Amino acid sequence: MWLRFGVTVLFILAIAAAVWDIVPWFEIQRWAVGGQRTFQNAMAGALRGIQAGNPQGVWTLCSATAAYGFFHALGPGHGKVLIGGASLASGATLKRLSILTFLSSLAQAVTAIFLVGGLYFILQIGSADLTDLTETWLAPASYVAIAAIGAVLIFRGARCWYQISHVKQDTHGCCGHSHGPSFNDVATLTSTRDAVALIASIAVRPCTGALFVLVIAARFDAFVVGCLAVVAMGLGTAVFNQMVATSGVAARRLIGFGARDHKGMQAISAALHLTVGFMIIAISVSMLLP
Amino acid sequence: MCLGGVTKAHPHIFVDARTGFIFGSDQQLETIKISWRYDEFTTLVLFETLELDQDQDGQLNDADRVKILEGETNWPKGYKGDIYLEVLGQDYPLGRPKAAAVMLNANQIEVSFDLPLSQPVRVDSTPIFLRLYDPFFYFAYTIVSAKASPELPEDCKAQIVLFEPTAAESVIQDKLAALGREDRLEIENAGRLFSDEVQLTCG
Repeated sequence: MWLRFGVTVLFILAIAAAVWDIVPWFEIQRWAVGGQRTFQNAMAGALRGIQAGNPQGVWTLCSATAAYGFFHALGPGHGKVLIGGASLASGATLKRLSILTFLSSLAQAVTAIFLVGGLYFILQIGSADLTDLTETWLAPASYVAIAAIGAVLIFRGARCWYQISHVKQDTHGCCGHSHGPSFNDVATLTSTRDAVALIASIAVRPCTGALFVLVIAARFDAFVVGCLAVVAMGLGTAVFNQMVATSGVAARRLIGFGARDHKGMQAISAALHLTVGFMIIAISVSMLLP
Repeated sequence: MCLGGVTKAHPHIFVDARTGFIFGSDQQLETIKISWRYDEFTTLVLFETLELDQDQDGQLNDADRVKILEGETNWPKGYKGDIYLEVLGQDYPLGRPKAAAVMLNANQIEVSFDLPLSQPVRVDSTPIFLRLYDPFFYFAYTIVSAKASPELPEDCKAQIVLFEPTAAESVIQDKLAALGREDRLEIENAGRLFSDEVQLTCG
C-alpha cells in the first residue's frame, strides 16, 4: 500500500516537474510585466480623463483596469496558488470552480471598496496608511488562512489514506460519508463551508492597485467610477484564475487516467490532497517570510 | 521557483532611470548622477499619498517639491537607493543624495540627484558596473540613455547593457548547477542577475 502511495506521489511530482520545465517562465514574466506597465499607465491616463470630465473616461478606465487585473494576476500571487491547488485536489466540477474563481475575485474587489469606503472616507485614514495596513496585516492574514487550508487538505488526504489502508473492503468508501466510492470521495470544496473558506482567504487581502484606483478616483470626486473600475479589475483577474482552474481540473483528469480502479482513484485523490496541501503551505510560508 | 527574489513579488512601480558619471582629474570617478522617472500611475499615487497639488493647478509648487524630495532622497538607514556600484567584483560604498531636484514632465514625476562615491575610484580598462535594482522587485528599473549626461573624460566609455533573459537564465542555471544546497542562499538576491547595467571603462 505504501509503495503504491509513494509511486502515486512521485508520479504527480514528475508530471508537475515536466510541466514546470516546459513553461517559458522568463518570457511569460517579461510579457506580464510589460503588459502591467502599459495598462498601469493607461489607468493613470483614464483617471486623469475622468478628472477632466471626459465622458468616455469610465469605459477607458474599466478596460484598463480589467486588462491590468489580468496581467497583474500573471505574476506570483496568493489567489492562484489556492485556486490552482484546489482545482487539482478537490472533487469540485469545473463549473463550480469557475463560479468560485469569479466570486473570490469579486469578493477581493468588494473588500477593497469597503476598505477605502470605510477607512478612507469615514475614519479619514490616509492612503499611505491604508496600503501599510494591507501589506502589514491583511496580506499575512491571507497567507495564514491559505496555509490553514493547505493543512486541512493534508489532514483530509492523510485521513483518507489511513482509511484506504485500513478498510480492505470498499463498502464504506473513503472519508466516511460517501457511498458510491468515486474520485470525488475526498469531498474538498463540494461543501458551502469549504467554498466560503476559499473565497474569504483570498478576499481578505485586496490588491494594492485596486486600493490606489479607488483612492485616486475618490480624490477626483468619482468614487463610484472607481468602484466600477475595481470590479472590472476583479473580472480581469478572474479570467486569468479561470485559466489556472481549468488547467488544474485538466491535470487532475489526466492524473486520474492512471488509476485502474476505485481504490486507485482514492489513492490518487489522497495523494493529490497531501501533495497540494504541502505545496500550498510551502508557498504561503515562503510568502510570509521577509 | 529557482528565480528566488524575482518571483516573490511583481512590480508595482516602474522607473525609467538615467545615469551619468562625474570625473575628477586623472580618470577618477567621483560622483554618480541618477534620475528616476516614475510611471504615470505611480505619479498619481504620489500626488495622492503626499497630498500634492492642493491648489489643483496640475503643477508642483515649492512645498510639493520639498515633500517629494524628503521621501525620495532622505533615505532610511540601510536603504541604498537600489543603486549598486561594483568595482573589481566588490560592492562599492556610496554616499547619500546631494543636489536633488524634482520635476513634473508629461504626467510623470522625475527625481534627480548626485550620489558621491565614498572615495574616488580610478577607472581603467577593467569595467566598473552600475546596476539599479530592487531585490524585492517591487520597483522595476529600466536604464534609459540620458538626455544630457556630463561629459566623460577622453578614452572613457559608459555603455548601457540591457537585461538579456537568456544570459541571466544561463548564469543562474550554471550557478545553481555549481553550488551545493547549502550555498543556495548566496544567490537569493538574484535581482542583480536580472537588472540592466551600465559598464564604465577608461583607456
